[in-house]
Amino acid sequence: MAVSPRLRQAYPVWPALIAAIACAAPLVAVAALAVSGEWSGYLAHLWSTRLPVYLLNTLQVTVISGGLAVVLGSGLAWLVARYEFAGRGVFEWLLALPLAVPAYAAAYGWFDLTQAAGPLGMLPTVRGATGAGLVLGLTLYPYVYLLAREAFAGQSSDAYEAARTLGARPREAFLRAAMPMARPAIAAGLALVVMETLADFGAVAHLGAPTLTVGLIRAWAGEGATADAARLALILVAIAFLIFALERAQRARARQTSASGRRRPSRRIVLSPIRGLAAAALCLSPVLLGMVIPLGRLTYRALNAPVTRDLASAAQNAVLLAVIAGVLAAMLGLAAAYALRTGTRRGAVAARVAGLGYAVPGAVAAMGVLAILGVMQTWIDAAWTGLFGAVFPVMLTGGIAALIFAYLSRFAAAAIGPADSALSRVTPTLDGAARTLGASARETARRVHWPLITQGALLAALLVFVEVLKELPATMILRPFNFDTLAVIAHNYASDERLGEAALPALLIAAVALPPMIWIARRIVRAEGVRAEAVRPEAGH
Amino acid sequence: MLKRLFAAGAIAALSLSACAPEAAEVSSAADAGEINLFTARHYASDAAVYAAFTEETGIRVNVLEAPADQLIERMRAEGARSQADVVITVDAGRLWRADQAGLFQPAPELADTLNAVPANLRHPDGHWFGFASRVRVVVFARDRVNASEITDFLDVAGERWRGRLCVRSSNNVYNQSLLAGLIDAVGPEQAETWAAGVAANIARAPQGGDTDQIRAVAAGECDIAIVNHYYLARLQRTEDPADRAVAEAVDIVFPSLAGRGAPFNISGAGLAANAPNRDNALAFLAFLLTEHGQRQFAELTNEFPVVAGVTYDNDVLAAYPQITPDPVNVNRLGENATAAQRIFDRVGWP
Repeated sequence: MAVSPRLRQAYPVWPALIAAIACAAPLVAVAALAVSGEWSGYLAHLWSTRLPVYLLNTLQVTVISGGLAVVLGSGLAWLVARYEFAGRGVFEWLLALPLAVPAYAAAYGWFDLTQAAGPLGMLPTVRGATGAGLVLGLTLYPYVYLLAREAFAGQSSDAYEAARTLGARPREAFLRAAMPMARPAIAAGLALVVMETLADFGAVAHLGAPTLTVGLIRAWAGEGATADAARLALILVAIAFLIFALERAQRARARQTSASGRRRPSRRIVLSPIRGLAAAALCLSPVLLGMVIPLGRLTYRALNAPVTRDLASAAQNAVLLAVIAGVLAAMLGLAAAYALRTGTRRGAVAARVAGLGYAVPGAVAAMGVLAILGVMQTWIDAAWTGLFGAVFPVMLTGGIAALIFAYLSRFAAAAIGPADSALSRVTPTLDGAARTLGASARETARRVHWPLITQGALLAALLVFVEVLKELPATMILRPFNFDTLAVIAHNYASDERLGEAALPALLIAAVALPPMIWIARRIVRAEGVRAEAVRPEAGH
Repeated sequence: MLKRLFAAGAIAALSLSACAPEAAEVSSAADAGEINLFTARHYASDAAVYAAFTEETGIRVNVLEAPADQLIERMRAEGARSQADVVITVDAGRLWRADQAGLFQPAPELADTLNAVPANLRHPDGHWFGFASRVRVVVFARDRVNASEITDFLDVAGERWRGRLCVRSSNNVYNQSLLAGLIDAVGPEQAETWAAGVAANIARAPQGGDTDQIRAVAAGECDIAIVNHYYLARLQRTEDPADRAVAEAVDIVFPSLAGRGAPFNISGAGLAANAPNRDNALAFLAFLLTEHGQRQFAELTNEFPVVAGVTYDNDVLAAYPQITPDPVNVNRLGENATAAQRIFDRVGWP
């Protein structure tokens, strides 16, 4: 796309730079840990013993979970976008719900159900790399679903219909006309699924699929080898970088947008009752497998367990953190997306760097944040005492700022994907038109972009909201005293082999995530008929 | 809209610094102060002990629960400004590591109190001590195994158990400490031979936790399993009929470790190196060893009290035979932990 140089400079890159610095800081700290530690020969020992197994497991789990997520996510998104059948409106948001189930909770539930003594003992036990891949795919596919759904909704149906007119069968038209246009969104969703999978510890450890992350935690916990754990983390980050690069390549090939931002509400095809039932069954199965069945098992266990915790305040804490992080992350995501749009190298690099934090396993990111805060505290203490003669308060126990910092550094990537894929629909032609009519860059953003990218921003905020609700390692290690979240309580019980007590907080996570999911799904649905020209008249400043 | 979003974000960012937890409220003058507790445990029994302590002394207990490794890492990063007064973890290996990192300080004031704790269940110089103990045991299928077949953990590595043993992953600290104890008893070479034997006997790839190993024995996937004693006690005392059935299908033996006695481990506590509320912390540590605290651990978490002569009400523990503990100081388990883990890596015990 040719963008005139004057347009290029139109958007400031500095917000993205700030985002990049915030996100890269823990990563830099981890890298510093990796190079500064002494070389104990542990890596050589690993290479000759367990590292190949770690890598193999990592590959297997990732391929299964990513493959499953793409098939489920994009297929079902197409189904609810293009066809009309009984219950479609409900499935629209129901399909996003398994994302609210922490993968480790689903893993505990499924393993408990299908082990030899369990009620589903006749089925093969959900375990090993295959089991872990399936569980992760079933709880993470909503990333792909949400982004693809949004892309299909925002897609003008012209291309698909043209293909049909030219005699293509529905499947062919889907694969050759609709899919390529949604490809950036699907790739962004897949990248998120893969990163989550790479960073997962709870599910793979429980199901006995030792991946790189398990090896990393083992090095850290079992050997006390922080430096070696950091080195393994860098391997993970390298893999993530590779995935990012592939995703970019995908996107570059598919920069095709319809010439206007206008959306023609696509008429859905009404399915016959029989086919409608089949479609409903298709939609229902991942929700059952990813959420209802495993959480149902935990609930059954909960019936025989006492409630020993104050879950109300834990829920409050979780929501507070998730809302703040969600809003801030959406802003960072937009900033990064605009930086990408400038087409400058600096902007692109900043946005890429900002997205990298996601691949760092939470425990490692948390270590990085800890190290940074420790260093900062020392400096500030010295300066403060020198200047004012008083003692500066302790940052870590004083509040939740450290947590928010850690969340943003980890989840900025989850926000950048949706924001960028939404912004990519705003064609440069639109910008050009607006600027020709004398609008400033800021005005163009507000009156032309904003109506088109609201959903992307909302989606970004929602994804981060749900992520933070589920987040464990950073929350665990950075939170103040007497401050629990639902995820922390659920995990503490589960790791203690008290599934019953873990059930209720895990269920509450899903319950808390439900209202925003429904609300956002509705916005996306409603927006299908919205026309880009329907810009609100300018409000006074 | 965009503007409003940015404004909301700015407000949120500003309010972050103001969001301190409720515990930080200004205390009244009559207040006996507080302690900050880092703990790797999260049991109702512990909460009951904290409440009883507050009732008795008026000292508030602020709690941070997290896995031990993370607590250690956080204290390291906090350095001299760490707010922790007391650190509690399960497994002596973790206490040893925290001590290596210089996170504890000796508490000479407690010397007399600590005499009530067996010498092998506390740090030689009193940097930390066990307040409850647990033992690694073998659980077996009543109908397929005879208790006389397993008198020592060395037996478990024997040929006769090929494909009949369940045990969880070697990532787990309980297994690490078991092997660390064996290294102390028979030396690293023989310990490695034993670990290789056990790895060859495993019936299925390690998965799940200790409770899952017991369930696998009941379901016939394996005939014996290595677990901690309280996991079975929990199943025996549950309301869940399915779990009761599991507990009834199996039985328990307390094998010795290379003839030295049963492999015991501890839940332990220590005084943090930079404790801001040192006196209150000492009061709390002493409270853990009172009759009240000791009873709670035995009755609610099925652990053994460390103080001799404490009476408690727990049918399951009461039914156990007399167990002779391995006399090794649990501090040694920490010293051998790294060697143990590398042995696991080499013999392919996943």
